[in-house]
Order: sequence, then C-alpha cells, then structure tokens
Amino acid sequence: MLSYNLKLALQNFKRAPSLYFLVLLTLSIGVGLLCANLALVSSMTGDPIPEKSDQLFHVSMNTWPNDQPPAEPFHILRYREAMKIAESDIPINSAVFYASGVYARDAQSDSLKRFDSSVRATTNGFFALTKAPFAYGNGFAKNSGMEVVIGDQLNQKIFSGENSVGKTLELDGELFTITGVLKPWSLRPLFYHATEGRAFNLTDDIYVPIETAIDLGWSIHARSSSTVSYKGVEFTRDRDVFYLQAWVELEDSTKQQAFQNYLDNYSQTLKDAGEHPLDINNQLRDVNAWLLEQNIVDQKVLAFTLASLLFLCVCVFNASSLLLSRFHSAKFEVGLRRAIGASNKNILNQGLTESVLLGFAAGVVSLLLSWLFLKLSVTFLPDLANIAVLDPKLLLLGMLLALVTSVSSALYSLYRANRYTISAELK
Amino acid sequence: MLIMNNVSRIYRNDTIKTHALRDFSLDVNAGEFVAVTGPSGSGKSTFLNVAGLLDTFDQGEYTLDGVSVHGLKDDELSRLRNEKIGFIFQSYNLIPDYSVFDNVDMPLRYRDFNAAQRKRRVEQSLEKVGLASRANYLPSQLSGGQQQRVAIARALAGEPKILLADEPTGNLDSLMARQVMELLHKLNQEGTTIIMVTHDPDQAREVNRNIQIIDGQISDFKIYAPLQSSESNLADAVKDKEGVDA
Amino acid sequence: MNIKALFKSLLLRKFTTGLLILQLAITLGLLVNSTILAFDTQGKISQATGLDNDNILIISTHPTSGNYRDLDYYRSIATQDMAKLRQLPGVKSVSVTAQLPIRSQGMHSNTYDLDNPEQENTDKYLQNVKYILAEENLADAMGFTILEGRFLNNNDQLDFGSEEKHNIVITAALKRALYGDESAIGQETNNGFIVGVINDIILDPTLPADKQYGLFINTVMEYIFAARYYVLNVEPQQMANVRSQVSETILAVQAERDIFSVFTMQEHLNRFYRDDKGLADLFLLLCGLMLLITAISSYAYSQFHVTKQQKFIGIRRALGARKKDILLYVLTENWLVYSLGCVLGGIIALGFNVMLSQYISLSKPDLVLFLLATGVIFISGTVATWIPATRTSNIPPVIATKTV
Repeated sequence: MLSYNLKLALQNFKRAPSLYFLVLLTLSIGVGLLCANLALVSSMTGDPIPEKSDQLFHVSMNTWPNDQPPAEPFHILRYREAMKIAESDIPINSAVFYASGVYARDAQSDSLKRFDSSVRATTNGFFALTKAPFAYGNGFAKNSGMEVVIGDQLNQKIFSGENSVGKTLELDGELFTITGVLKPWSLRPLFYHATEGRAFNLTDDIYVPIETAIDLGWSIHARSSSTVSYKGVEFTRDRDVFYLQAWVELEDSTKQQAFQNYLDNYSQTLKDAGEHPLDINNQLRDVNAWLLEQNIVDQKVLAFTLASLLFLCVCVFNASSLLLSRFHSAKFEVGLRRAIGASNKNILNQGLTESVLLGFAAGVVSLLLSWLFLKLSVTFLPDLANIAVLDPKLLLLGMLLALVTSVSSALYSLYRANRYTISAELK
Repeated sequence: MLIMNNVSRIYRNDTIKTHALRDFSLDVNAGEFVAVTGPSGSGKSTFLNVAGLLDTFDQGEYTLDGVSVHGLKDDELSRLRNEKIGFIFQSYNLIPDYSVFDNVDMPLRYRDFNAAQRKRRVEQSLEKVGLASRANYLPSQLSGGQQQRVAIARALAGEPKILLADEPTGNLDSLMARQVMELLHKLNQEGTTIIMVTHDPDQAREVNRNIQIIDGQISDFKIYAPLQSSESNLADAVKDKEGVDA
Repeated sequence: MNIKALFKSLLLRKFTTGLLILQLAITLGLLVNSTILAFDTQGKISQATGLDNDNILIISTHPTSGNYRDLDYYRSIATQDMAKLRQLPGVKSVSVTAQLPIRSQGMHSNTYDLDNPEQENTDKYLQNVKYILAEENLADAMGFTILEGRFLNNNDQLDFGSEEKHNIVITAALKRALYGDESAIGQETNNGFIVGVINDIILDPTLPADKQYGLFINTVMEYIFAARYYVLNVEPQQMANVRSQVSETILAVQAERDIFSVFTMQEHLNRFYRDDKGLADLFLLLCGLMLLITAISSYAYSQFHVTKQQKFIGIRRALGARKKDILLYVLTENWLVYSLGCVLGGIIALGFNVMLSQYISLSKPDLVLFLLATGVIFISGTVATWIPATRTSNIPPVIATKTV
C-alpha cells in the first residue's frame, strides 16, 4: 500500500507540477529562513562545554577601592585578588588571564611579514580548565617564561599547519618558543571571555604566560578600569588597576562552598584592614549562568527570528490554499476511489503520503536554503560570522519542521476529502 | 442478496426537509437483473447511492449479502463496497491518464492482493468484456462504448456479488449502447446480479424485473408500463404481463 | 456594487478567504514595521554629528615591529607620518588621536569641578566622560568650532612624565553639566584646567544628545603607543585623490605598519549603524518575499472564479453583464478581501511593533505609514490578480446553458 501511495503521490505531482513546485518553494523558503535563524539563536544560547559547564565558575568580586564602583560586583579583578585566586588549592584548575594582541612572525623566516594575533595572557591552568585540545605538544609549565601555545589558525598561517612545537616566534621584538599547538577549537559562545562584546570571537591565536605578558607591558585589549594612572601594564601589579578575569573549576558543592568561604574570608581581611569600602559581594557563576547574565544573545537576531516565524505562518497559509485548490481539482478522483471501495482511511493515508513526500522534498531544499541564508546573513550582520553555522541537530529540526508544515498545509484538504459526500461528483 | 426494509433517506437543509427515499422496501435475489425507472427527481439516484453504500440512510434496515449495513463504520462499509459491489456510471469515470490496465486495477489496490493476483484478475476482467488486447491503451484512444466496457471490467475485477449501473448507456449512441447491454445480459446469465437505473423503456423491457420509483417510494411492475396509457394499451399490457409470468 | 452580495460570495469560501485575509494582515504588519526600521536607520545615519562628516579622513593603523617599543622612535615616525600626510595636495590639516567620536567604548574618566566633587553623584554621566588624547591640530583636523577660549596648543603638551596638571578642552555639553551658563574658562577640574570649550559633537550615539561629555588633553605624543588614528581634514573635491595615496605615504615612511582601514567620518558613522542597517535590510528582504507569496495566494484565490465559478459567471454574462462588469466584480471582491486584511493588518502591525520593541528600538507606527502600506498591498494584489480577473471576464456567456 505504501508503494502504491507513493506512486499515486508522484503521479499527482506530475499532473500539476507548477502548483506543487510553488508549494514546495513556499514551504522550503519559510522553513529554511526560520531554521537559519534558529541556528543563530542556538549558537548564541548553546552550552559550549556541556561536559563541565556546571563546574566552571567565573569569579566576580567587590574590591573596588572607593564607593563609586563601575559595577557591583565587578567582573574584572586586580592583580592581588587574581593571584589570591590562582594560589588557592581548592579548585582543581583555575585560570587568571587578560586579553591582549601582538604581531607574530616566524623568527627563522626571512620574510618580515607579521600576523596580527589575538593573545590570551594567562596562568597555565587555563588549558586544563577549558579542555583546550592539543594537536601537538602541551601547555607551558610555569606562569612565566618565554614560552607560548598557539592556535590552529595561526599555525596554518605561519607554519602551514605542521608540528611547530619547538619553533621560535618573534612577538613584538621578543623571542618565544612554542610548547604546544592546539587543534581547531571553536567555542560558541566564547564563554571564557564573554564580556565586552567578545562572546562570538574565535578562540585566541596565542596563549602566553601571564607574568611574561605583564613584564613586557603588553597592553590590555579589553575592559580595564582604575582609580590611579599607570604608565603601562608592567606597573599594575601593585596598583588598583582592574583588568584580569578569573575562572575556577570546582568539582562539587562542597568545593564550591569552600571556595566561596575562601573568597569571603579574603575580602574580610581587606575589610578589617580598611581597604574594602564596599560590601563583601563575591559571586561565583557557572558557565551558563554567566552567559545568561552577560545577555549575549543578539537581540536583532531574536527580532528577526520572530519575523521569520510569522513568515513561516504566511508560507503555510499559502501552501494550504494552493493545496486546497488542488483538492478541488482532485475531487473527482477521490470520489471515484471512494466509490470503488477505498475507505476514508485509505484516502487519508494517500493524502498523508503525498504530504510527507512533499515534506521530505521541502526539507532537503530548505536545508540548502538555510545554509545559503546563513551565508547571506553574514553580509547583513557581519558580527555573526563566527556563529553562522548549521549543526546537525538543526538539520534534523529543519527536516522535522518541513514535514510538520507540509502535513499542516494539507490538513484542511484532507479533512474536506474525508467529509464530503461521494456521489456528488460522479454523475 | 439485497434486502431493504422501510428505508428512508431524508435530506435536511435550513428550511426544507426532503424525503428522497420514503419507506422504501425491496428484495433482490441473487441472479436477478433489475431495471429501475422513474421520473427525474424521483429518488432513483438516491436509491442507487444508498444501495451502493455511498450514502447513509436515516431509518430502516439494509442487508447486503447477509450483512446488515446498519451501524457499520466507514472502514467496514468501504470494504463491503470494495468486495461486494461493482459500480458502473453514466459517464464512465475513468482516470484519463491511467492505462486501461491501471483503471481496471484500481479497486484491487484496496484489497490484499499481490501484484500477480491483481494482474490475473485484471486480465480476466478484460477478457470478459472483450478488451484484453487494449490493456495498454489510454481511455482517450477508445470509443465511448469501449470506455464503458472498461468501466464494466473495473466493476467486475473484484468479483462483486452485485453490479449497480447508473444509466450505463446514457452517453452512448445506439450501436454502442447495444453492445454494452449485450455484455450486461451475458454477465447476468453467468450469474451476476445487476441493478440498473435507466430511462430507456426498451432496456427496461428486456430485463426480468422492473421497479419504478416515484416520490421516493417503490412501485413494482413486472412489465414496464408507459405513464400515459390508453385503455387498449392497458389490455395489451395485462396480456403481456400474463405472458412474461412464466 | 452590491457589497452584501460580495460578502456572501466571500463566505462561500470561508477557509481560503480567511487564509488570504490572515496572510494580508501579516504582510501589512511586517511591511509597516520594516518601513519603520528602514526610516529609523536612515534617520540615525543622517543625524548631525557636529563634525564635518564628508571631509574628514581617518587612517587606522598599528605598528607591527617591536622597535616601536622605543617610544622616541615611535614618536619620530609619527611626526614624519604627519608631515608627509600634510604635504599631500588637498590636505588642510593632520592630527593624531587615540580614539574617535561616534563610538561607545573607549577611554573614559570621571570628571568633576574641584569645588564641586559631588557633581558626579548627581549626574551619573560625569563618571564616564570621554577622555581623548589629542594634540594641537585636532580641532582643525576634526573641524571643531571653538565656542569659548581656545583649543590646545603646543605649550599644553607638558614634559613627558610630568606630574603637573594639564590644560584641557571640553565639549559644550560637559561645560553645561559642570557650570551651567557660567564660563568654564579657567575652572579647575580633577582632570585639569579648562582652557576652551568646543561645539557639541556626537561622542557616543547610545547616550542622550545632551550627555555627550568629552574632554581633550594634549598627551597623545606622551602616550604615543595608544595613537591609533591619523585624522586628516581634506578639501571637498580632493577626498578620492587623497584617499588613494595615504597608505603608500605612511608605508613609505616606515613599512612595518598594519594599515587596518582608511575611511571618512561619514563611513565611520555608517559603520556604527551597520548592524541596524543590516537588520533593516533583512526585514525589507523578508517583506519582499512575503509580498511575493501573498501575491501568489491572491492569484490562486482569484483563479477560483475561472475554474469553479464558470457557470455563475456565464449566467451573469448571459443576463447582460459586460466583460468590464465581470472584471470589476472580480477586482472588487479582491479589494474587499484586501480591505479586511488591511484592517486586521493594522492591529497586527501594532502588536508586532510592541513585540519587536522588546528586542530592538523602533518608532511607533503612524497612520500615514499604515495607509502607504495598504496602498502597496492594494497595488501588488491588483497586479497579481489581473490575469485571473481578465480570464474570468473572458468566460463566454454560452457556458450558462451547458449541461455537461
């Protein structure tokens, strides 16, 4: 029966090809557009590290030295607090870092071409904490020293993707040895630096020990606030300059509580010494809570998703009325089949088979259109470049949507076919 | 074979109630060839629709080949229609882009036959109507009479117990009409029960049983009597009646 | 025209009529809001910035070599750059700075008058005043108008490392915030002595127009490592010419530089609203698609007359209707549906506007826009149904008598 129904469906398509083509087109455009938008929203709201997103915590503290803090608590820290966090053994891993930028060059190369690279000046716990995937080598052992880890993209640009462990890079006039090269690594969103509009940036090109970066005075490329002036980053260790971010990995609630106490005790000692004018307000937020608070979902995309939902409705209505007009033309044959013994169920199955077949076709086309639209959306909203990807679960969703819309469009026609009296058309 | 007892079919719209069939009772035995006549709007079509399970009825009982139709669900009605009834329409109602074979094959698709079984039955049906050589033709390549014979083959394909024909020769010229009627008679002689709605008094006269439906009710005449009759004709009619009784 | 009869004939096809009305309504709703977005964005892009948008050229650059860590070296290169740029024909003045107007991020500082330190508590915006590293030529390069006093001069650039208080120039908005109607010249703030006030310029478009607080201090050469932008004031006809030469000029001085981009102030303004424009364009694209689809539905809806209503149309013709009458009949029926759709569409437009406002900022719809959108729908709908309407009017009267 299924093969017969499929055969009948194909026959129907051949009889009114332009109509079915229009139905296919409207459904696939509607589903494709919505799917593309959902892909964007899903990228923006996804959990980038699900295997431990509830164990990684961002640390915010309230140690601003006067009563006009930029925020309470503040998401960036002074060197003192950051080091206090880094030296605690309660977290299994911790990472303290700031974002910078430098021009990189293969020290051995004759060419003077330098590549603009994004830098993460960090403690060495960063790699274990974020589960950074290494293709070659490993992270640097200490928080100082002239060693770096580089990302896959930079490795491709400078060393054509080879194993460059042991090679030397010239960064801003200084020589660094590569200890590790990462595999292609995409975090959507970039949870470890979700502030200052960087949540959809790519992972960094160069990871350098934090003390080295500070000593060399590599400038801060993200938010920094201070109550005093300073001539360069190398002078910030003992001043009230807030620019470092800290993440800790705490395996269970006991550890979390212990660490919270650790922070609060530290803040209390500051208070006792008269150096903490604000209330003690140390907050640990796990990956998803932190991302939620940063409100990184691009509201424009949400607005457009809403519009594309309405658009899908219009497409379904259109498909519905086209299919209904087709039903009118097909009434005769339905009546005939009923007269020779097809039950309502048979006719319903025939109609459903047709819808499902159409739905599959629409699904395939819509996925193509989704992909196309994602590419197109980047020309309209260039900030989306890194998140405009279709991951497998969206493909599934797209197919499902196409099937659902195809069947819904046919519902009224199927209902009418079920209800009308057979004899009317057969005279 | 077909027993209707006090069947009523009432059509209702907002203001008017129409009794299309009114206390209609009929007994048709297996092997009979019944002609149904009556003026326009008398309820002939309604009768055929109810008999063919295309339409429901409001009161009364209807038993087809021993099965009481009352209260059956759509699935069961469809199965009955498929297995026991064969329909022949005035305007053949063939699917224009199907071949003769596929047209005849249609009702068989709704039963559990495999491809080989279907093929055998279709070929047998086409044999019976004398069109086995035209199995791959399209309806547009056949004459009106041939198309109607294909429709008859389609009605026969499922080996129904009863054929219901609605003015089967209404769209044909006299020669083709003749051929179709001969076919129907042949089938009847081979044992198929046939109920045929017709306007043609000659056709009615040729079959062994006539029914007249007027205003939704049945009048049973053994001989078709024209509606306007003079006295002499009436005498002849009575004589004829006695003659056919045998 | 018998409106009642028309309504009745619509009721014959409740489902398809209903669907079409819904489609029209949604299309109108989207059309109105897309137009609002487009106009809003256009308004943002053409807003007055207080700057000479078309005649300011900006070069964003960064050194790539470690040699620039030697700040004296860096300064000498920068000085040469500016000298060479100044020599290009058509360039009226050249300056260098660390941050540009029309940007929300950047260097900020809290600012208050020393005699009135509580100010920054009453006016929160005083906690985030744009702190712009400048040098003496910036006013000419940017085309500032001096309202009071003077702009910075060479003497305002103190010795590097000096702890003395600098002289600063502030924007008119900051002056009003700190001193109201009084003169600001000579007043002392935490950031320095005020020697001049310039006209209002848009420093951060996300802030209210009267809160554009900014101060200029002659320290860009001291902190030369932050000096990312060369600002050129160019004569009106010479922009294209100058533009094509600036990169070579700079690289000729010293090649180890990355020239990120070269753009005018207008392009900088456009860039700020790039995403707004992108979204507005996306919405317009969607509108176009939706109109197309609704037009298809409208076409199919009118085809009904050709395919299903032939007999009735034939009867009308047999009874004396002319082709024109039939054409008008079909069109009027469509217009009735459009009217219903547009009335519903008005409600949907309002609702959609409210929903969208939760995500983005856009103006409220007004009546004129609604009427315009209705017009668009009527016109595109009529075009879509023209062919079916014509076909319907061509149905011959003889059909009335056909029985088969």
